[in-house]
Amino acid sequence: MNKHHSANPAGPHGPTVAPLRAQARDGASAHGQAAATTAVTTATTAAGVQRVRPAAAPDHEAVAASAGGVLLKAVGLKKDYHKGKHVVPVLRGVDLEVRQGELLAVIGQSGSGKSTLLHLLATLDRPDEGEIWFNGQRIDNASTRQRDRLRNRHLGMIFQFYHLLPELTALENVLAPLMITHGFFSYRLQRRRLVERAKALLETVGLGHRLKHRPREMSGGEMQRAAIARALITEPQILLADEPTGNLDGRTGQGIMELLRSLNTQSNLTIVMVTHDSAIASQADRVVQLVDGQVSDS
Amino acid sequence: MYKFLLCWRYLRTRWIALASIISVTLGVATMIVVNAVMAGFTQEMQDRIRGILSDVSFEARSFNGFRDPEYHMREIEKIVGDEIEVMTPTVTVPAMLSFQLHGEWNTRPVQLIGIPRDAMQYASKFRQYLQHPKHREQFRFELQETGYDLRDRHGGEDAPLRVRMETAGMVHRRNMIEYRRQWEQQLAGKPLPHAEQTVNDDSQPANDVVDPFAAVERPLDPFAARNDAAQADPAAPLTGCVLGIGLVSYRHNGAEHFLVLPGDDIQLTFPTAGTPPKAVSDTFTVVDLYESKMTEYDSSFIFVPLDKLQELRGMFDRESGTTFVTSIQIKLKDESRGSIVRDKLQAAFPPHFYSVSTWRDKQGPLLAAVEMETAILNMLLFLIIAVAGFGILAIFFMIVVEKTKDIGILKSLGAHGSGIMGIFLSYGLSLGLVGAGAGMVLGLLFVRHINEIRIWLGNLTGQMVFDPSIYYFYEIPTSVNPWTVAWIVIGALAIAVAASVMPALRAARLHPVEALRYE
Repeated sequence: MNKHHSANPAGPHGPTVAPLRAQARDGASAHGQAAATTAVTTATTAAGVQRVRPAAAPDHEAVAASAGGVLLKAVGLKKDYHKGKHVVPVLRGVDLEVRQGELLAVIGQSGSGKSTLLHLLATLDRPDEGEIWFNGQRIDNASTRQRDRLRNRHLGMIFQFYHLLPELTALENVLAPLMITHGFFSYRLQRRRLVERAKALLETVGLGHRLKHRPREMSGGEMQRAAIARALITEPQILLADEPTGNLDGRTGQGIMELLRSLNTQSNLTIVMVTHDSAIASQADRVVQLVDGQVSDS
Repeated sequence: MYKFLLCWRYLRTRWIALASIISVTLGVATMIVVNAVMAGFTQEMQDRIRGILSDVSFEARSFNGFRDPEYHMREIEKIVGDEIEVMTPTVTVPAMLSFQLHGEWNTRPVQLIGIPRDAMQYASKFRQYLQHPKHREQFRFELQETGYDLRDRHGGEDAPLRVRMETAGMVHRRNMIEYRRQWEQQLAGKPLPHAEQTVNDDSQPANDVVDPFAAVERPLDPFAARNDAAQADPAAPLTGCVLGIGLVSYRHNGAEHFLVLPGDDIQLTFPTAGTPPKAVSDTFTVVDLYESKMTEYDSSFIFVPLDKLQELRGMFDRESGTTFVTSIQIKLKDESRGSIVRDKLQAAFPPHFYSVSTWRDKQGPLLAAVEMETAILNMLLFLIIAVAGFGILAIFFMIVVEKTKDIGILKSLGAHGSGIMGIFLSYGLSLGLVGAGAGMVLGLLFVRHINEIRIWLGNLTGQMVFDPSIYYFYEIPTSVNPWTVAWIVIGALAIAVAASVMPALRAARLHPVEALRYE
């Protein structure tokens, strides 16, 4: 497996992140650029064990196909949980490829390990076995600092329970990743510009009127939109969504799905979404089913 | 950046954390107050001791003293001449004080000090402690007509009145002689048709104020009467002496009462310089009282003219015309060089005949005791702050547990462990700053208004909080050393930060996935 990637012309450091240049504002122009800069080898498709569901969204498939390159790849991921003396295997060798620009849904029952898989992909946890490659770089064994940096700048995450910081307003929550990126003085210097960007992003997700509100003053849908804005503020290459509609009623959840869809099409944002809801999953370009810690071929 | 923002928000939304630092505040405030009072006390005491004792004293080991003080002073001058401001030869000898009260003789042990008649040259602040304003300017062992301080001049208007002090001096002396004369006449059985008028006509309106028991208090002194009779002018004072005020005064119902007033005669008994020593006695007239506010000295010192004491003790050599003294008091230009001067003199003079000591050496045990007391108090109070540290630790742990999810979120956003740790460390530092800062302000305010607080507390509880009659201070002395305050605040800050290290480390080490799952 390594061979493919060590042959990557971009070298061990990989291509520098293709920022989705203000994807919320001029997504169309960014589309082509992002696709071009992340032109990783396509040969890995041979390893594909994913079950593609072409019927789900035929027009979207074209987008995924046009993107082509593999952005994120998991090979033979294994992860056990230890509860006292008992070892509970969660992932038993998962192979997964995420192509540039696609909206991929990972569907599975509770306990199938889909959240664990997402955490591994997001470098929040380390696999017991297997490898994760992002942009041609192996990230599962990177140092903690490198992984923190990766999460901060190149990965966006949203969660079922939104996970906004309760002490901060919507605007501050969105700015939080930038505050982590920049030191005190660097942030103070660029503050005006960064705040403008956050405001524009909140505007895009439909929260222009909620800038100064604390999470507890917002509805579930609004909180999830704020969380999406926060995930996108650093212009990541990929958005990892853990049950993004899991805690929302049908209509609100659909609104979130539409937002994700539009981000995907307009900004060519690659999205990996974990869900147990097949109705939600069916809106993805491609669906991977996880059963008992393995990708199911059924 | 997020560290400061979150730290600030946690501070503003978690007032309970402030409760944990109230103990730090109180600890810091108490430490500042205790240190200020102890330092004030020490300083005041040192000032007093320094005023009483000379910087360096050069003493004979024997009561017989050493011969020829002029020669010794020349020798000392040769060794450390450029350090010395003034030298005074003195004689110090234990003695017994006797005075009559209600016809009974009172006897007390005292320390008799012979100083030159021209006390201008005496190497201490001796004159400052006298009770007559003229004597504080110039003192020659002479009795003043009247005008001795009616109140303790350090106590201000509130100081207790000194009973019968308004007649002290020559006026009192003449009164007493007149009383005795009348008393003797009465004893002799002669009629006294206008006895009362005679007294009242005796040119002092002050007599009306004198308490009516005065006459009873000092009735007959057959010895004094005989002495008086022997003199041409019965009222002429004898050799002057200065009594420590504590020897002859007591406080009763808030007023200072005196057993002996300036103008009275007293008897002193002390050993001669010969071998074996014999007791000699002589009568002196009290010309002033000595109040240094150091009870130890005020209740033991009696000063008499040096030449008179030398004469009575036989401390002179007729053949060579030289005198003896027991010590030479040295005042230095720079007090801090006392131990250097002492060491040089110790090296130059045979130590089995002479002992050389600085005032610090003499009061070493007292100063060391106060220092020890301060050190122990500081240690105890610092332990209180340290205990407060554990309170901070507990509350911080709770906050970290409460914020577990936030920590997970921050980590998922790419915050590094050190950054998370920074949040809680700066949180601890901010709390420490608030606590120590508030404590500092509180402590300094308390020190500044300590005497108002003392009076207020006294009024509130109806009990004297700081009785000046016990401490001989009219106000609680304080002295704030900026360095002490700085060290206390830094110490408190360090404890607050140290207490937040463990919770902060725990926060930094939280596993992001587990933290996110935490409910």
